[in-house]
Amino acid sequence: MNDQEKVLKYLVSVEKLAEEILADKREIVLLDKRRNHNREALRDLTKSNQQKCWMTVGSMLIKNNLETTKNLLEADQRQLNIEINKLRCDLKVKVNNLRDLEMQPPVPGLMLVPLSQKETQGMSNAGLFP
Amino acid sequence: MASIAAAQVQEVRSITRIERIGAHSHIRGLGLDDSLEPRAVSQGMVGQKMARKAAGVVLQMIREGKIAGRAVLLAGQPGTGKTAIAMGLAQALGPDTPFTSMAGSEIFSLEMSKTEALTQAIRKSIGIRIKEESEIIEGEVVEVVIERAAGGGGARVGRLTLKTTDMETNYDMGAKMIDSLLKEKVQAGDVITIDKATGKINKLGRSFARARDYDATGQQARFVQCPEGELQKRKEVVHTVTLHEVDVINSRTHGFLALFSGDTGEIKSEIREQINSKVAEWREEGKAEMIPGVLFIDEAHMLDIECFSFLNRALESETAPVVIMATNRGITRIRGTNYQSPHGIPLDLLDRMIIVPTSPYSHQELREILNIRCEEEDCQMSNDALTVLTRVATETSLRYAIQLITTASLVAKRRKATEVSMEDVKKVYSLFLDEHRSEQFLKEYQDEFMFNDGGGDAPQLMEVAQ
Repeated sequence: MNDQEKVLKYLVSVEKLAEEILADKREIVLLDKRRNHNREALRDLTKSNQQKCWMTVGSMLIKNNLETTKNLLEADQRQLNIEINKLRCDLKVKVNNLRDLEMQPPVPGLMLVPLSQKETQGMSNAGLFP
Repeated sequence: MASIAAAQVQEVRSITRIERIGAHSHIRGLGLDDSLEPRAVSQGMVGQKMARKAAGVVLQMIREGKIAGRAVLLAGQPGTGKTAIAMGLAQALGPDTPFTSMAGSEIFSLEMSKTEALTQAIRKSIGIRIKEESEIIEGEVVEVVIERAAGGGGARVGRLTLKTTDMETNYDMGAKMIDSLLKEKVQAGDVITIDKATGKINKLGRSFARARDYDATGQQARFVQCPEGELQKRKEVVHTVTLHEVDVINSRTHGFLALFSGDTGEIKSEIREQINSKVAEWREEGKAEMIPGVLFIDEAHMLDIECFSFLNRALESETAPVVIMATNRGITRIRGTNYQSPHGIPLDLLDRMIIVPTSPYSHQELREILNIRCEEEDCQMSNDALTVLTRVATETSLRYAIQLITTASLVAKRRKATEVSMEDVKKVYSLFLDEHRSEQFLKEYQDEFMFNDGGGDAPQLMEVAQ
């Protein structure tokens, strides 16, 4: 009986973590979708030569000043970038935790800090990076 | 058991491209189970249980990074599987751990000093893991619209629509992006990646959904799935490079081409020091991880006293690889001195080593090995032929018996038989002498050979030779 409980508890923890990882991945996709929509909107706003524009908030259409809309969108973009980055960082930790639970060795080099742009360039110029 | 091992061998071979069949190409690992107990026949390994178990312990220690700076000596008679165990160790370590294999006599070269050759070998065995990160936009092209201003001149405007399975979006493009899109001949239905930092466009292939667009496609048309998830991805690639590779690309006289031509010559010690400090800096910043690998020196008795003292010192460095040596000598003279020492290796170095002995194979084990070799060389052998071959192996040597496999299978092919029979083996046994019979022959007819000590009709024979 005790064993069964243990197994169940273990399976629950694995499934929970795995579900979290999947949810995070979906979240990133949704955020990126919004980021792309915002980007398109910003691009269209710079092209428009009117003073005001329409924007949707929920199911409401609001006529708003062009400048303020732009500022709103830009603020939203910044926030989105931060959130996506945060999710990506957390995802790494979660993946490692999951592998730990599943008795698999951690992914090699997952937690490394990436080389700088210049260093990467040098390495790939030298033919070390395919 | 053997059939399972054989099935694995076959499987691996069908995946990788066909390689030359080498003496140890049948070895896929150490053949240990999870608790490091050796299986009787597995992954091409047969018998030698104690040595394999010891190698398994060493393997575990290497994986945990515990034995860097120490050495292992595989000692045993010729043909008892020392090189096989080292190869198995290399296979078991996986492709991520650097493994350098060299013969003791390789260090003697006119172009390079002995210590330089050893240093290069040591640095080839130390890897660093670094990560490359890039932000890319990956998607299937839905449409490309390029508008040229009337009259040819003026700025062009373009719009690119990309999609993944989850989203679709437009990008406005400037003149430069339009140029590179045109250069890459990107059209609707292609799956492309755009590097955000450099703007480089890379065509991955055509989307499967567009596979029926044309009736005839070129051979190079590659079909890929439409990418999933977000459009703007972060791509992280972890690379493992050896210190030697970094040395070579930084030694200015040669440039990186030396990496491929293989002729690296000597590398200045200042360069090595610079690289050491750079790598140390990266490790401090968390940009790099050290992977101490394995340096395998076969025929270690061929090294001389200078090499041994150099190794002794090099092992003490904090970034030393695990050095595995193999020797088939007993108590013999250390090269470069007049002193005798066990295995031809100085006592102070022996003291640092863990010595793993290998022992001669039993009759049954020899039969298994020959069987595995037959499978490796795609050669069907009848049971009695294998028995004869095993007998040959016990009486002469395993290597000689393995040579007979290929030759006998050729003879069998000549008479259009699918299976090698006992007669084929007997025929090649009479065609090719083993070392013992050759020696006997020489002793019998030594008077008729040139420059023999017995003093015979040498001049007369020279005429015959011409």
